Amino acid sequence: MDAAAEQKYNFDVVRWFAVMAVVYVVVGALVGVYIASELAWPVLNFDSPYLTFGRLRPLHTNAVIFAFGGSVLMATAFYSVQRTCGVRLWSDKMAWFTFWGWNAIIVSAVVTLPLGLTSGKEYAELEWPIDIAIAVVWLSYSINFIMTIAIRKSSHIYVSNWFFLGMMIMITYLHVVNSLAVPVSLMKSYSLFSGVQDAMIQWWYGHNAVGFYLTGGFLGIMYYFVPKQANRPVFSYRLSVIHFWALMFGYVWLGAHHLQYTALPDWTGSLGAAVSLAMIIPSWGGAVNGMMTLSGAWDKLRTDYILRFLIMSLAFYAMSTFEGPVMSLKTVNALSHYTDWTVGHVHSGALGWVAMVGMGAIYHLMERCFHTTMWSAKLVNLHFWTATIGAVIYIIAMWVSGIMQGLMWRAYDEYGTLAYTFAESVEAMHPYYAMRAVGGAIFLLGAVIMLFNVLMTVKKASSEGTLQQARTAAASA
Amino acid sequence: MSSLADYFHTDWEAMTTNDWIGTILTVVIFLLMVVAYVYVLRPKNKDKLESYKHIPMDDDERIESGDKNGR
Repeated sequence: MDAAAEQKYNFDVVRWFAVMAVVYVVVGALVGVYIASELAWPVLNFDSPYLTFGRLRPLHTNAVIFAFGGSVLMATAFYSVQRTCGVRLWSDKMAWFTFWGWNAIIVSAVVTLPLGLTSGKEYAELEWPIDIAIAVVWLSYSINFIMTIAIRKSSHIYVSNWFFLGMMIMITYLHVVNSLAVPVSLMKSYSLFSGVQDAMIQWWYGHNAVGFYLTGGFLGIMYYFVPKQANRPVFSYRLSVIHFWALMFGYVWLGAHHLQYTALPDWTGSLGAAVSLAMIIPSWGGAVNGMMTLSGAWDKLRTDYILRFLIMSLAFYAMSTFEGPVMSLKTVNALSHYTDWTVGHVHSGALGWVAMVGMGAIYHLMERCFHTTMWSAKLVNLHFWTATIGAVIYIIAMWVSGIMQGLMWRAYDEYGTLAYTFAESVEAMHPYYAMRAVGGAIFLLGAVIMLFNVLMTVKKASSEGTLQQARTAAASA
Repeated sequence: MSSLADYFHTDWEAMTTNDWIGTILTVVIFLLMVVAYVYVLRPKNKDKLESYKHIPMDDDERIESGDKNGR
C-alpha cells in the first residue's frame, strides 16, 4: 500500500512542510520563552534594540502562528485533500511554489521584524511588499486545494475540506482588507484606515484570524486526523455540518468584543459579546464530536500517545471556547481587559488547542509519509506530558497574574484614589512572570524532544530504506 | 427602558443604506442557518449524511483497489 500511495499522491511536499513545521515550533517557542524571561528579568534586553520585547514579540507571534501554524495547515491540507478526494494534488509545481514562497516569507519576517520594520498592526506586522507576497503564496495554496477538490473522484466533499476551504476564503479576504495601506517607501506604509475604523478593521481581522485560521483550519485537521488516528469514523457527521456552518456564519461578528469600553459604538461590543456566547454551542458541539469519536474505545488513549495529543487538544479547545465568550461580557471584560488574563486565554488556545492538535497531526503524518513508526514512542509520550504540564503552568500563572492585575488597577482607598500605583502592580507580577517563563520553557523542551524524534525518524526511514522502497516500487509499478 | 415596546422601538426613517444592508444580511444569514439546521436534523437525511463519515476510513481501500489516479 505504501508504494501505491507514493505513486498516487504527492507526499514530498507534505514531508517537507511537516518537518519544517517542527523546526518552526522550536524557533517560535524559543523566542517566546526568551521574551517571557525578559519580562521577568529585564536585564536580558542587553541594551540591544534588536532584542527588546517590542521587536521580538512580533517575531514570536509570526513564528508560531504563520511559520509553525501555516506549515502545519499546508502539510495537513495537502495530505488530507488528496486522501479524501482520491486524487493527486492538482499541481505539483504550484505546491512547491507554495512551500518555497511560504518559507521565503518566514525568512523575510525573521530579518525585518528585529530590525523594527513593521506596519504596527497586531498579528499583521509585516510590511507591504511581504504582505503582497503572502497574498500571492496564500492564493497558490488555496487554488491548488480548490482545484484538487474540483478534480476529485468522490461525489461528496468531506467535512475537513469544508473547514480548510472556509479558512482559505476568509483569510484571503481578511488579509487583503486589513493590509490595505499607502506605501511611502520600500519598507514603510501607512494603513488606509484611521482612528476607530482602523481599530474595528484590526480586530475584525484579529479575531477572525483566530476564528478561521487557528480554529477553522485546525478543525479541518481535527475532523480528518482524529478519526484516522483512532481508526473510527467521526461520532456524528450531522453535528460536524452544523459545527461548520455555525462557525462560518457566527465567527465574523465577534471582533468588536476586543474593543469593549473604547471609542467604538457600544452596541458593536454588545453584539460581539452576544454572538460570542452563542458560539459556545457549536464550539462545544465540535469538541464533543471529536472526543466522542473515541466512544467505546477510550482504552486506545493508554497506548496511542499520538491520539493523546489530539484528544487533549479538544479538551483545551472546549475550555478556551468557553473562557473567551465569558471574557467578552462587559462585566468580566472590565476586569480582564489589558491584563495577563488575556495572555493566558490566548495561550490556552495556542498551546493547548492549536499546538497540540497540530503536533498530533504531524506525528500521524510522519508515520504515514515516511512509511515507518516514530523513532521513539516513549519520547512522544514524554513530549505529551511536557507539552501538557508546560501549557497548564503557563495558563495558571497568567490567570492568577491577570486577575490580580485587574483587581489592583481598580482598587480604591477610602478617599477615592487608586490604592496601588502601576509600578506596584508590575512588581506584584514578578513571581508569575517567572512562573510563566518556566511553563514556557517546559513546553519548549517538549518541542525540542519532538524535533529530535522527528529527525531520528527521518534517519530511521532512510536507514531502513522504507521511503526508498516505496518510491522504487512505485516507479516500477 | 420603560417597556419591551420601547426596547424594540426602531426609527425606520433614520435607517441608512449601510443599516439596511446590515439588517438584510443578518436576516438572510439567520434564515440560511435555520435552513441548514432543518436539513441536517431532518430524520430523512440522517442515513445519507452519516454515510459520509466513512470517507477518511475508506481511503486506504481506494488505494488497494488499484486506482492509480490515471497514471
